[in-house]
Amino acid sequence: MHMTSREIALLAIALLAIAGFSWFSPWFATVDNLLTILRNSSELLLIALGMTLVIAMGGVDVSVGVVMGVAAWAVGQLLLVNSPWLAALAGPLLGLLLGLITALVVVMGRIPAIVGTLGLFGVWRTGLFALLGGQWLSGLPGSLTSGLMHPLLGLPVMAWIIVLVWACVWLVLRHTPYGLWLLAAGNSEEKARLAGIPVTQVRIATFMISGLLCGIAATCYIATYRNVEMTVGGSLALEAIAAVVLGGTRITGGACSLLGTLLGVLLLRILQNGLLLVGIPSLWQTVVTGAVLLVVLSSEAASGRVIAFRRTA
Amino acid sequence: MRRITTAVCSLSLLFSGYALAAEKVAFVPQIIGIPYFQAMEAGGKRAASDLGVEFVYSGPVDTNPMDQLQIVQNLIAQKVNAIGISVLDASSIAPVLAQAKANNVHLFTSDSDAPDSGRPVYVAQATDQGLGDAIIDEMVKRVGDHGKIGIVSGEATASNLNSWIGFMQQRVKSKYPNITLLKPQYAGGSASRAAQIATDLMSANPDIKGLIAMASTTCPGVAQAIETAGKNGKVIGSGFCSPNTARAYLKSGAFGYTVLWDPEKLGYLTVWAGKQLIDGKAFSAENRVPGFTEPVKFDSKTGVLLLGSPAVFTKENVDQFKF
Repeated sequence: MHMTSREIALLAIALLAIAGFSWFSPWFATVDNLLTILRNSSELLLIALGMTLVIAMGGVDVSVGVVMGVAAWAVGQLLLVNSPWLAALAGPLLGLLLGLITALVVVMGRIPAIVGTLGLFGVWRTGLFALLGGQWLSGLPGSLTSGLMHPLLGLPVMAWIIVLVWACVWLVLRHTPYGLWLLAAGNSEEKARLAGIPVTQVRIATFMISGLLCGIAATCYIATYRNVEMTVGGSLALEAIAAVVLGGTRITGGACSLLGTLLGVLLLRILQNGLLLVGIPSLWQTVVTGAVLLVVLSSEAASGRVIAFRRTA
Repeated sequence: MRRITTAVCSLSLLFSGYALAAEKVAFVPQIIGIPYFQAMEAGGKRAASDLGVEFVYSGPVDTNPMDQLQIVQNLIAQKVNAIGISVLDASSIAPVLAQAKANNVHLFTSDSDAPDSGRPVYVAQATDQGLGDAIIDEMVKRVGDHGKIGIVSGEATASNLNSWIGFMQQRVKSKYPNITLLKPQYAGGSASRAAQIATDLMSANPDIKGLIAMASTTCPGVAQAIETAGKNGKVIGSGFCSPNTARAYLKSGAFGYTVLWDPEKLGYLTVWAGKQLIDGKAFSAENRVPGFTEPVKFDSKTGVLLLGSPAVFTKENVDQFKF
């Protein structure tokens, strides 16, 4: 497999971080802790995957965290009436529906994605507040947890679901016309339309896929944390955008890297976990992750300039 | 003559009625939509109807200090008479306090303080020292006077949480020299982040004996982390958590106990204090407040009006409380 320079750089930083954390903390490189990092990554892995597609299409969606929150509320409520199967399915279904609403607002309403989804972010957050009626769902039944955390071939069922979702998205992106259309629309909407690509349908489908992934993340969230608080998913959208951009997906659209997103998510979570394990106060974690983001992006810009200079010379 | 008397009477009634309707006491929580502040809201409403004032409850949907200050400024603009605020960021409250004074609004603190801001009174749930001591003493009762205890806090700027942490550290230093209190970690307002931090603390310190959740937002996360790690009873979870939030976890054994007070009564006392300020009545060393069996103490040196001593909730008594 051919890796881009960005993917190699991310892998190198991640390995360096892993080596450093293992050196300074005997508890970092343990099976339990690595499983913890994976478990902590689960929602972000799903949401960042959808965000990769949305950004590759030239859009962005800042409402994803709250969409997950609303879907998580539905999952939690159904779990309270004791139907884990229905609850597990409710997440993806509601996510798909909310993704459709996002698509209608942004694509049919012809509103810039960042503005439209910011509006929806406010609507869903207040909606979630109204749904919760001021009361958190906490201490939800463990029926969903025992199902999704059940070990299968050494990993919990939830991990396999995430692997399956990633495989599906990869197949759709690389082996169906949709993938080509998505990148073409991201490169230039006008040219894509002139080339006869169904741009509107592609954009609607992309927001719906992202919504569906938020919904699956909601089911995973409930299985992991078994509570829904008012502020659920608040920082997820920004973390997802950071992971996607770190991974080398072009913020203006037209190019994307699934492997890069995967590495981006894992790097963010490894840093959060490792810094705490080596005893750095959690206040500094956002500073470190922000610094990594800036270093990776600016070094790329610098090397880009060097190449450009050589070409002109 | 009778007609005049009637007229005067009805006029004065009207006037007093007008005065009653015009007196507004507001309370601004750190975040709306959590059971804790809802209980304070309920107590505030009860006091308002007892004391004949109007109660206004308004706060941010996220623990954002800037949003909170904007809400206070809006309330000042609306000409409410007194505002109690559970301060999110003690450093930024002073200018708003000056603005309130200029508009003849009594701005005071309740539930979380800004000690150096010049506020007229702080309605305290319990002394910060009483709370810090209680949570450490109860923990030592369960894990013994040896071992490591972790702290998962909420926002790093929340003055009440930081003050409790300070007294917890003092208590350990002066009374339990063999207890190691780990450096506090901050989860913000997110339960999932609290769970991740609690999990990481347990990974980094396999010999950890207890975990203390400082903010009500961090309680479910810390408890969930202990349950997920399969360490119910091995790591004693605790925190400043309301019975509603902690009930399931106290019963499952993830939490051994929680420490708090009755926020409904705190809300009541807040509105009572606001009414005293509006009426221009000074607080005495011991105050009779309707519905309180014990007199409510006021410390004129620190300006603290104290609700009483903290309550400890366990799986045995938790069902008696509904907040």
